[in-house]
Amino acid sequence: MWSVVKSVLSALLGVQNDLKRQQDFSSGNPAAFIVVGIVITLVFVLILVGIAVIASR
Amino acid sequence: MAPKLPPQHSLQHSSTAAAGGHSHHDHAAQPKGILRWVLTTNHKEIGSLYLIFSLTMFFVGGIFALVVRAELFQPGLQLIEPEFFNQMTTMHGLIMVFAAVMPAFTGLANWMIPLQIGAPDMALPRLNNFSFWLLPVAFTLLLSTLLMPGGGPNFGWTFYAPLSTTYAPASTTFFILALHIAGISSILGAINIIATILNMRAPGMRMMDMPLFVWTWLITAFLLIAVMPVLAGVITMMLMDINFGTSFFDAAGGGDPVLFQHLFWFFGHPEVYIMILPAFGIVSAIIPTFARKPLFGYASMVYATAAIALLSFLVWAHHMFIVGLPLTAELFFMYSTMLIAVPTGVKVFNWVTTLFRGSISFEPPMLFALAFVVLFTIGGFSGLMLAIAPADFQYHDTYFVVAHFHYVLVPGAIFAIMAGVYYWLPKWTGYYPNERLAQCHFWCSIVGVNLTFFPMHFAGLAGMPRRIPDYALQFADFNMLSSIGAFFFGASQLMFVLVVVMCVRGGKKAPAKAWEGAEDLEWSVPSPAPLHTFETPPVFNRTHHHD
Amino acid sequence: MHLSWQWLLTITSAFSITQAHANSWNMPVGVTDISQDIFGLHMAIFWVCVVIGVIVFGVMFYSLFKYRHSKGEKAANFHEHTSVEILWTAIPILILVGMAVPATATLKSMYDSSEADLDVMITGQQWRWRYEYLGEDVAFTSNMSTSRAQIRGEEARDEHYLLDVDEPLVLPINRKVRFLMTSDDVIHSWWVPELAVKQDTIPGFINENWVKINEPGIYRGQCAELCGVNHGFMPVVVHAMEEEEFEAWLAERKEAAEQEAMGVDREWEMEDLMARGETVYQTICSSCHQSEGQGAPPAFPALANNNQLISDLDWHMNRVINGVSGAAMPAFRSTLNPVEIAAVVTYTRNAWGNETGDVVQPATVAERIAQ
Repeated sequence: MWSVVKSVLSALLGVQNDLKRQQDFSSGNPAAFIVVGIVITLVFVLILVGIAVIASR
Repeated sequence: MAPKLPPQHSLQHSSTAAAGGHSHHDHAAQPKGILRWVLTTNHKEIGSLYLIFSLTMFFVGGIFALVVRAELFQPGLQLIEPEFFNQMTTMHGLIMVFAAVMPAFTGLANWMIPLQIGAPDMALPRLNNFSFWLLPVAFTLLLSTLLMPGGGPNFGWTFYAPLSTTYAPASTTFFILALHIAGISSILGAINIIATILNMRAPGMRMMDMPLFVWTWLITAFLLIAVMPVLAGVITMMLMDINFGTSFFDAAGGGDPVLFQHLFWFFGHPEVYIMILPAFGIVSAIIPTFARKPLFGYASMVYATAAIALLSFLVWAHHMFIVGLPLTAELFFMYSTMLIAVPTGVKVFNWVTTLFRGSISFEPPMLFALAFVVLFTIGGFSGLMLAIAPADFQYHDTYFVVAHFHYVLVPGAIFAIMAGVYYWLPKWTGYYPNERLAQCHFWCSIVGVNLTFFPMHFAGLAGMPRRIPDYALQFADFNMLSSIGAFFFGASQLMFVLVVVMCVRGGKKAPAKAWEGAEDLEWSVPSPAPLHTFETPPVFNRTHHHD
Repeated sequence: MHLSWQWLLTITSAFSITQAHANSWNMPVGVTDISQDIFGLHMAIFWVCVVIGVIVFGVMFYSLFKYRHSKGEKAANFHEHTSVEILWTAIPILILVGMAVPATATLKSMYDSSEADLDVMITGQQWRWRYEYLGEDVAFTSNMSTSRAQIRGEEARDEHYLLDVDEPLVLPINRKVRFLMTSDDVIHSWWVPELAVKQDTIPGFINENWVKINEPGIYRGQCAELCGVNHGFMPVVVHAMEEEEFEAWLAERKEAAEQEAMGVDREWEMEDLMARGETVYQTICSSCHQSEGQGAPPAFPALANNNQLISDLDWHMNRVINGVSGAAMPAFRSTLNPVEIAAVVTYTRNAWGNETGDVVQPATVAERIAQ
């Protein structure tokens, strides 16, 4: 699970190495990546909203 | 690797797996003449149809642009009336986005995705035929509005309400219908591409082995399925407002004109990426081929594409910085827009690093791909400037924006398409394109595109709003340069047609592997690719792929 | 806050060509603190892009030159380097954060329209601007004054071609002026580059923006949002003057408005109404219905020899006062005063061969509006 989260986070940055990619694609459950991707996107949105709210005070 | 098979018609009636390709159903003789093209279910023929349609529409939209540039050659109204001018800018945008760029990418996808993944055809061949033939219907309808009383759409390709509802010409309902049909075509095309990629890869080819063009198209197809319904929704709301007395976008009835813009750009911003992600894929195929060196950071590229696709849903309101959003929203969209520059920058860095210590040659596809990297990056820089919300209060709706999006779409998307065509023409026709003429086309295009669009940056910064048929005297020099550049660029594209036609008729013979450094599966079938390929799935050889 | 990153301005303006000349190539520095902040941001992000561009394109062109196949260069086979990748991700993020901080500060001050000394309502109309000094009983419309002959090339074009109006918006310098912006028909966008104010005017909604001008002068801009056929002919002109001068101007306009209000009650002669009506018609109506009343069907019907108009005075007055819902014809009950409406109705009923002989008195119009 943690490796999925790490992969999705590194996707956000656009940095990933081949070894990790091999592991990601052989571990075989795309659903996990999709779910974690969406959750992290939501978290990302919330963080950004938070920063925007604080900055606009 | 792949057996050369005599052309024969095979009917595919199962979308489930590559195995479907084995079953041969001989049936009535293949239709001849025009019917062959109307009824074809072959991915190569449909791909060609898409590409020919797109090229035709590229010239139609180009002529509209030249009408606009001719009027803007000098201050004053010389050639056309403002009313017709507005129709021309609107039609130019609509045709180029929906009828030139998008079908060109779908055409390339049709031709190349099955070849690149070792599939005998698209997963849903009849649907494929249907989604193509919707396009001529949609755009004949759209173009016919120009002849209707009151004229065609005149409210810009972004068709902001209420200019496009309460104040629109009578033909707007036809415009809505045309866009609906084009949207259905896109969605069906996207479904087909996803089904093909997920189900029909050659045995042994895993997702991670797919060429980047396939990857970028897979992600693009998901974007299409996500946002085309939003476009369909917003134009249906327009339809209701115009014909059935609703007030979605009419404040007098409790609606909100800004709602239109939110919905439009929720479609519109991912649409921008729909038009650029496949271009990334093409360039990522060409640069390693002609640098004779594997793509730097293939894994990063795949992940960055996915990240861009997700982020593209979070930035739409940067098109709306001056509509009066609350401060918090402005900040949110400014931050998210700045952040999307990061994965985009990563791609550019990857291409440049792929070149570093390569062994580089400059065939026509490579020339266009390199021009893409440089000029798309310039468009990216102006995009970064536009992301700074306070500065956008000055840039918004000026020629600076026009320069920005033309840099990402013309030497961006369109150069990538041309690079792709030059790259794969030997595979399609069996002959190399005429090198000299192609180089001439390239250098003329480079000069033309920069002469047309670079001065627009200055015109915009100096204060020229977009979509005006006449302008103040201080903008005259920039506009004259742009107009000269536009006609030069337009004329140069006739060379492209000449190269393609000559290449279809003959030329230097191309071997199966037409380019020395080319790696992907499509180079294992003969040139020209026979009508039916990979009827027996190839064995995918992983060793020289990305590992 | 403005001072805190003044250094950005100083550095960047040192690079730019002298600012007076930069005007025709670059964004104007402008005459407000905000416009100068924005110019600083613009130049800062521009130079960031230039530096990144030089590095990226430098590496690229070096590689293209150095590693040519024709030179017999052999390709290396590296295709991954995680720390390089992390570096080129982290550096842009830091640069972006560095840009986001001053941009956020500027944006916040742009949004702070509180404690204004003067409120001006700006209303976009196809295709003119209406300005209303709230609480001062002064309001007028501002139309482009460039002649059709200049646009058609029949006359020489003057210096302010397309950027001249009959009545500019007059504002005092050194005072915070709040704009309340809306529209009567479609979305327009009120833009003056030197003031760095660009704001959409949206029918049914009110947007706010503000300006505090540092130098007197005449500042020109245009409508920035496509608003229909005459979008290109909708200039904005702001005349910024010293405060005393502005007060004198405002007092004069107030008095004129009172005079005009008194004109409603008196009986007008036909010639006076015709003369006034022609002026109103040519500034307000002719952009759609054309200067000879010939219209531009189907969107804009002809008025000359229009049988319904000639035969039905009541219908005619109703159209002008209340507009036509769902079409381009606006309601003029609040934009024109009764004298102007009476004059323009009288004029259109007696011009271009519409010889009805009808004379409509301002008092009659005032009564209709009151109903």
